[in-house]
Amino acid sequence: MGLTDALARYALRATHVLVVEVPGEWRTRVGLEQQMLRRGWRPAWTPADADVLAVCGIPGPALAENVGQLWEQMPGPRVRADIGSLSHVSSALDDAATLLLDTPHHRADAQNRPERPQLPEPHGQSDDDGMDHGGHGHHGEHQSADHSDMGHGGHDGMDHGGHGGIDMAPEGIPLATGGQDRDGLEMDVLHLPWGPVLPFWPAGLVLRCALQGDVVVEAGASVIDDAHHHGPGEGHPAQAPWAAVRCDNAMALLALAGAEDVAVRARRARDALLDGNGDAARDAVTRLHRAVRRSRLLRWSLRGVLPLTASDLEDHGLPMSCLGDAHDRLVSLVERVRAQVHDRGPMNPSGTGAVVWDELPHLMTGLELATVRLAVASLDLDPLPGAREVARA
Amino acid sequence: MPEAVVMTVPGYWAVLAAVLLGGLAVFAAALDAGLSDRAQGLGGGWGAPLAGTARLLRQRRRTTVAADAVLWRVGNAGMLMGALLMVAVVPLGWWALADLDVGVVWFNAVDVMVWALVWLAGWGANSTHSLVGGYRFLAHGLAYELPLMFALVAPAIAAGSLSVGDVVAAQEGLWFVVWMPVAFVVFLVGVTGFSVWGPSAPALGADIAGGVLSELSGVDRLVFLAGRYAFLAAGAAFSVPLFLGGGAGPVLPGWAWSLVKTAAVLGVLVWLRRKLPALRPDRFMEIGWVVMLPAALLQDLVVALIVVGKA
Repeated sequence: MGLTDALARYALRATHVLVVEVPGEWRTRVGLEQQMLRRGWRPAWTPADADVLAVCGIPGPALAENVGQLWEQMPGPRVRADIGSLSHVSSALDDAATLLLDTPHHRADAQNRPERPQLPEPHGQSDDDGMDHGGHGHHGEHQSADHSDMGHGGHDGMDHGGHGGIDMAPEGIPLATGGQDRDGLEMDVLHLPWGPVLPFWPAGLVLRCALQGDVVVEAGASVIDDAHHHGPGEGHPAQAPWAAVRCDNAMALLALAGAEDVAVRARRARDALLDGNGDAARDAVTRLHRAVRRSRLLRWSLRGVLPLTASDLEDHGLPMSCLGDAHDRLVSLVERVRAQVHDRGPMNPSGTGAVVWDELPHLMTGLELATVRLAVASLDLDPLPGAREVARA
Repeated sequence: MPEAVVMTVPGYWAVLAAVLLGGLAVFAAALDAGLSDRAQGLGGGWGAPLAGTARLLRQRRRTTVAADAVLWRVGNAGMLMGALLMVAVVPLGWWALADLDVGVVWFNAVDVMVWALVWLAGWGANSTHSLVGGYRFLAHGLAYELPLMFALVAPAIAAGSLSVGDVVAAQEGLWFVVWMPVAFVVFLVGVTGFSVWGPSAPALGADIAGGVLSELSGVDRLVFLAGRYAFLAAGAAFSVPLFLGGGAGPVLPGWAWSLVKTAAVLGVLVWLRRKLPALRPDRFMEIGWVVMLPAALLQDLVVALIVVGKA
C-alpha cells in the first residue's frame, strides 16, 4: 500500500494532460498550458498517453460526444478536469491531482470498464463521430486502404455503395470502398478526419480528408457544434491580444515541423505578450524572429509547402500575408508581430483580413499527407469563435 | 601490440553490459528532460524520466479494436532487445562480450532489424496515425540505411577487417574520425535514424499525434521509449571503437575512456534534437541519396586509396 501511494505521488510530477479546447476558449487553454508547465505536467498528444482529460470551456453536444469517446480511450488511472474559465484552471488542476492519487477509485473505475475496446455506436444524427486521433471507427478503412494490392478489386461487382455487409466488416469495421485515383486507376479510399481535438490544431475545426495512398483527393471542412456559426472574421469580440495569437500559431507550426527550441521561443513570446510586460515581450519576439530567420534547416523543411501565388490568393479570398510557401508565411507572421511590438505596425492588424476556414478544403485537395498539417498551421487561422460569442455579435 | 587488443569476457558480464546500457539510456533521457526544461525557462527537470517511468508503470495497458497484439508487442519490446544485441560487440575498454570476426556486420544487421520493429509497432495498433508513422520510418530507413552501410565500410577498409577489435587496434596513433570525418557524420545521422531520434523522428511526429507512439500506453510505451534511448546509447557506444579510438586515452583506464567518449557523443546527439527540425520523410530521400550516399562513397574511395598507398 505504501509503495503504491509513493509511486502514485512520484508519478504525479510527470502527469500528461490531453487538452480539449472548446472553440472560443483560446485564453483558457493558454492559461492551462502555463499552469501545466509550472507543475511539470506535459501535454499528451493522444488519449493513450493521457492521465488527465482537461476540457477548457463548455462543449456543445457534438464535441461532448467526442470528449466521451476520448475518455473511453484513456487507459487509466484517468481523471477528467472541466475548466469552465480561466480563473478555474488552478483549482481544477489541484482537484485533478488529488483524484489522481486516489488509487482505490481508479481500481474501481478499471473494474467497471469493458475488457475490450469498443467501436462507437454508429448513428446518423451526428456525422462527427470518431474524429479524434484517427479514432477507432476508421481503422478498417485504412487497413484495407493500405492493402490495395490484395485484390479488393474483386469486390467491385458487389459494391454496396459504401455499406459493406456484416460479413464484410471484421469486428464491426467496414471494409474500404475504392475510387479512381488521379491516374484513373482503381484505388481504395481512406477517410481520415483531422480534429476537432488534435495537438497544434485550430480548436473545433474538423477537416475530413479522403486519402488515396498519401494524397488528399477530397476534403471537407466544418466547425464542431456550428449551428450558430456564420464563419469567423465577422466581428467576434477579440478575446486575446492579436500578437499573442500569432505567436501561438507560430508555435504550432514550429512544433509540427519538429523545431522544438524555436517553438519554445514562440511559446515564451506568447506568454510574455499575454503578461503585458512590454520589455520582456519585445525581447522574446526579437529572439523568436532571429531564430526563425537563422535556421536554414527550418527553411529547407518548410519550403514548398502549399505555395500560393497572388492569383491563388485572389481566387480563394486570402490575405496578402499568405503569399508564398509555408516558410514565407512563417517569416511574414513573425515580422508582423515584431513590427507590432516595436510600435511600427498597424495598431489593429486583425482588420487586414483573416483566413476563412471554409477555404481549407480547396487548398488541401491534392496535398500529400505529410504536408497537410504544416499547410493548415502555416495559414495562421484565427481561433474559431465560440457559439456564445457569435450569438452575441 | 596490434593483435588481440580486445579480450572476450564470459557471458555473465552481459548483465553488467545491460546495466551500463540502461544507465546511459537514463542519462540521455535525463539530459533531454533537463535541456527541455532549461529551454522553457524552468529549473530542474532532470528527474522527469524517473517520474515518467513511475507514471507509465502505474498506467494500464490498453488495446485497440482489432489490434494485431502479437506483432505489436514484438515491435515494442524488440527495440530494447535489439539495443542489447548491438552492445554485445561493443568493447568496453579492452573487454567485449563477443569479438566477432564480423562485428561490424553484426551491428549493421541489428540496425536493419529496427526497420521491422518500428514498422510492426506502427502496424500492430491498427490505427491510422500509428501506421503512417510506421511507413514514415521505412521512408527514412530507405534514405539513411545505404549511406550508413557505406559509412561503416570506411573503418573496415582502413583496418582491413570486419572485427571491431581489429578496427580499434588499427587506430593506434590516429583516430579514424580525423581522416574519415564524413563517414563519422553519416554514421551519426544513421544512429539518429535507427533510434528514431531528433531530426529522424517524423515517425513519432507531432503532426501525426505521435505516430507509432500514438496508441501506446503504460508499460508498452515505457518499453518502446526505453528501447529507443537504449538504441541511441548503443549507437553512440559503437561510434567509439569505430571512429574514436576505443578505450585509448591518457591517465584513465580503457573502460573509463570508452564510457566518457560514449557519454560525450550521446550528449551531442541529445542536444542536437532540440536544435534541428524534423527531416521530412518525403524530402529526406533527397539528402540521403544525393548528398550523403555519394559523400560516403567518396570517403570510402579516399580511405581505400590511402590504404593502398601505404601498402
